[in-house]
Amino acid sequence: MKFSANWIAELAPGLTVPPHELGALITTKTAECEGTEAYAPFLDHVRLARVVDVRPVEGSKNVYAAIDAGPLGRKNVVCGAPNCRAGILTAWVMPGAELKGGRVIGKAVVSGLESEGMLAAGDEIGVNREHEGILEFSEGAPGDPLPGISPDHIIEIDNKSLTHRPDLWGHLGMAREVAAITGLALRDPVPPVEWAGEPPLRVEIENYELCPRYSALVFENVTIAPSPLWLQYRLESIGLNPISNIVDVTNLVMAELAQPTHAFDADLLKGGVIFVRLAKAGERVQALNEEEYTLDGQALVIADAGGAEAIAGVIGGRPTGIHAGTRRVVLESANFQAASIRRTSSRLKLRTDASMRFEKAQDPGNTVRALARCWELFRLVSPGIRLVGGLVDNAAPVTPPPAIRLDLDWLNRKIGRAVAREEVEKILRSLAFVVEPDGPGALAVTPPSWRATKDISIAEDLVEEIGRMIGYASIPPRAPLVPSEPPPASPEREYQYELRRMAAAQGFTEVYNYSFLSETLAERFGFPREEHIQVLNPIARDQGLLRVSLTPRIVQNIEDNARHMDSFRLFETGNEIHKRAGSEDGLPEEIPHLAAAIFAKEGDGQAGLFELKRLAEILAPGVKVSAATGVRCFEHPRRVWTLESHGETVGRVFELHPSWCEHGRGAILDLDLAALFRLRPEPVKHKPLRRFPVSEFDLSVITGVRVEVGAVGSLLLRAGDESWLGVEFVGQYMGAPLALDEKSLSFRVTVGAADHTLSAGEITAARERAIAAVQAAGYQLRM
Amino acid sequence: MSLAATLQELKDSTAARIANASTLDELEAIRVETVGRKGVLAGAGKDMAKVAKEDRAAMGQLLNAVKSAIESALEERTNAFQAAALEARLDAEWMDLTAPAPGVQPGALHPVTQVQRYLEEVFTSMGFTVLSGPEVETEFHNFDALNIPPSHPARDMQDTFWLEGGHLLRTHTSPVQVRGMKRLGAPLRMIAPGRVFRNEEVDPSHEHTFYQLEGMMVDREVSIAHMLYFMKTLLKEIFQREVAVRLRPGYFPFVEPGFELDIQCLLCGGAGCPVCKYTGWVELLPCGLVHPNVLRAGGIDPGQWNGFAFGLGLTRLAMMRYGIDDIRLLQAGDLRFLNQFR
Repeated sequence: MKFSANWIAELAPGLTVPPHELGALITTKTAECEGTEAYAPFLDHVRLARVVDVRPVEGSKNVYAAIDAGPLGRKNVVCGAPNCRAGILTAWVMPGAELKGGRVIGKAVVSGLESEGMLAAGDEIGVNREHEGILEFSEGAPGDPLPGISPDHIIEIDNKSLTHRPDLWGHLGMAREVAAITGLALRDPVPPVEWAGEPPLRVEIENYELCPRYSALVFENVTIAPSPLWLQYRLESIGLNPISNIVDVTNLVMAELAQPTHAFDADLLKGGVIFVRLAKAGERVQALNEEEYTLDGQALVIADAGGAEAIAGVIGGRPTGIHAGTRRVVLESANFQAASIRRTSSRLKLRTDASMRFEKAQDPGNTVRALARCWELFRLVSPGIRLVGGLVDNAAPVTPPPAIRLDLDWLNRKIGRAVAREEVEKILRSLAFVVEPDGPGALAVTPPSWRATKDISIAEDLVEEIGRMIGYASIPPRAPLVPSEPPPASPEREYQYELRRMAAAQGFTEVYNYSFLSETLAERFGFPREEHIQVLNPIARDQGLLRVSLTPRIVQNIEDNARHMDSFRLFETGNEIHKRAGSEDGLPEEIPHLAAAIFAKEGDGQAGLFELKRLAEILAPGVKVSAATGVRCFEHPRRVWTLESHGETVGRVFELHPSWCEHGRGAILDLDLAALFRLRPEPVKHKPLRRFPVSEFDLSVITGVRVEVGAVGSLLLRAGDESWLGVEFVGQYMGAPLALDEKSLSFRVTVGAADHTLSAGEITAARERAIAAVQAAGYQLRM
Repeated sequence: MSLAATLQELKDSTAARIANASTLDELEAIRVETVGRKGVLAGAGKDMAKVAKEDRAAMGQLLNAVKSAIESALEERTNAFQAAALEARLDAEWMDLTAPAPGVQPGALHPVTQVQRYLEEVFTSMGFTVLSGPEVETEFHNFDALNIPPSHPARDMQDTFWLEGGHLLRTHTSPVQVRGMKRLGAPLRMIAPGRVFRNEEVDPSHEHTFYQLEGMMVDREVSIAHMLYFMKTLLKEIFQREVAVRLRPGYFPFVEPGFELDIQCLLCGGAGCPVCKYTGWVELLPCGLVHPNVLRAGGIDPGQWNGFAFGLGLTRLAMMRYGIDDIRLLQAGDLRFLNQFR
């Protein structure tokens, strides 16, 4: 929202704070100022001048104008405007002016003639957007500054910080803040009006919840013409486009009082009744922006006997809008329910100056004030205009906002420092609150109607009013008195951090990936589309699903980094998001996973897989690897294993299928951190050191080449009894004298007893047992 | 030749041989030949019988003297050889440790992880517990419970990803306030760092996925002054120096009053520069006193308890700390970038 510093100063007379400081003051006390910029500072170098003589310039459409700039003398200016003619009073830009975009106006020779400065069109000096001809003024004397058009500053306030303040969507509201901050009195621009006469129009409101008030005036003998230039300038300076006198006044009043109004051409409205009702489903409105909108049954419309003529609070209709020939006007000034306007505006994707204001919950008390202000300005911009009848005003009964009890001791405790009662009262009154005593230590505070719609309803809201006005910088920071006790622990979070740190120590660098993936990607990985939660409004087509696995993005990471590096390791921890039926709030299950990857351009891939296995053993001590069943399309069918802990599957390790990783070997470890946390080892109970020596014996088992070390190892382990302390894989051998399809696996078995040294007989028995088990499984021993 | 002459001759020739020996093996051979059990001296001992009785004692002494002279010469020479061998071994074992150690270099934790971890430790040390909440949230927890009813224009302040089934991706970590209050009750000091989502186009300073850290304290008497104290302490820890702060009004429906906390620009010290847009201040921390409706939604009686809450942009903080000027780098998985944070 743009505010004109001049305008604010007119409403807070006596304001001497320079505009930049004003922006900073507003920021610290009211709402965030995003910047303050000079607007048309060059107007100091622009004066009224009368064209006294015009001579054609040979070979050019330009003319050579002699102008009278009053006390500044007579000058000659080359001008290309078709309306440059003797007698008109126009804007003369003096040499030395620097216009928008750094364009410096000086003495120049144009078409061989000396030109002192230039005569300006509206767009050249920021008055309006016209470039057809030079400006023409109807009042003022040559040499004077342009009437009502002087250098200004535009203070831009962040709209988000005005979300709760319907009143700050107009200059009067901001001026009230500025007056309160600087201790000045506010000047109300709305003239007092005694309304008399019968309402010339009937208004039927179907639902007062949606439209608490609809006020209107009817005018006749209207002349549609351009607005006076000062009015155009004022609109232009705050970013509104001047259109014509009647429309410009409605916009000016909206920018001043925050109350949107709408002017209908009264002769184009059918019947003598205005209906405020819900649209019929499918009802259409041709809007002023030349679009056609089809409404649902929840949109509020302004209708006449012929149907919907405007979308209430959002946009007017084209067929009944003001046009050059308009002679009679119905001026609507209504109040609508914020939620309803917001709903319609967002459903139609149509945010207008009106809808932005209504959705902040405007003050129903403001409708007639806006009419009074418009009526005053209409007389100025459309001489001869007459009011038909009296005020039309259909309103639900208003319940005045209840007084809020403000306990002063409570207030001080909330703020954290004492604020004198007198100061509290002064601040509240300066913001137009009504303050009455309410017992010795409390006040009864009634907010003004424009703060009562949504903004102020509880005592906490008053804390903010007092706090911001005394200045938060005046509150000394103070340490709270709190129990000194350790906070509840977050073991799962700590556990995950520990794993991340260990993964990094093992050479894996942490990446963060998006939670989204595309349908195409999901399909490519063979993850069924229906298992994913769908994003209804994705940022892009390729981000329409929530991930059920970290793998697709990790594969992407491998591809991306393989372009720059020959070998690397990376990992991510993040949530898989799975649909879940029957949970209390319907929320999906979010399962934290750790996915680690190793890529190497060279080699056969085995080293990488063993490194991932080692990482798994570091992160999840005791984890068991076994060949997986159910190979997925992106997995190497002979290099995919599941990881188990305490009999539960906790992860998977695999090499990427060669067709998925063309320029090297990529392998991925995927661990379910929720399961691992659940199964994490208990603190170890120590075993007493062994007092009697242990014995070892080696066995070499001949197997087929694809028999797993793990299978033979656990076979040996199972063969033992309580005297078996360990079975360790020593190594393997292939080659003569073994057959080509054979290998020899060597294991070292350690045996011992807690209470004696094993006898030679016991050791032999143990060895015999192992040999028997190996042979029973169909393997030979290598001697 | 007399025995004495023979012994003298043995002593002299052995001494010469020992001095000339070049290996331990040669010395051993000399030892065996001379003072060994079957050596020359042992033989000479047997010849003692032939020596005249009156000379025997002197001869015995001579024999022993020769033996011990040879033995000590042998020992001395052996020691010299061993010392030289050790010296040679040590010298041969020269190595170059400036060569890179085998094995992989450690990897890096993500910069946001590092900042987050640091902050968690700061807060834990101040008695705050660290909580998590789901990334997929209910509309209730993300909005309604935070005093943002349907149709509230504040919902537009946060462009939301809506999901099938009426859920959404949380637009802030604030829903964990309510979950935390419900779980732990009052008094409460908690933070909730985590991933949040906004439906925004991605550019160098905007991301649809980023990280926040929510904080909340609920107790009997919590004031703006207390909040200021915590914020100042926190910022001092984050920036490792005193930071000037400014509190100004800010609108967030879940706090009342609500603030934006600005810090004095660390680059220009408040004089004005492009980073602070020439205002001298940088917006860092939205905060405020918890709105009574939010306490109620968390099952806490606002008549008995009150509190403050704040939100910290973790992503922004990480970018400030590491001088990262393009937010997209954080989610791009590019190891050339990430490995810098080892």
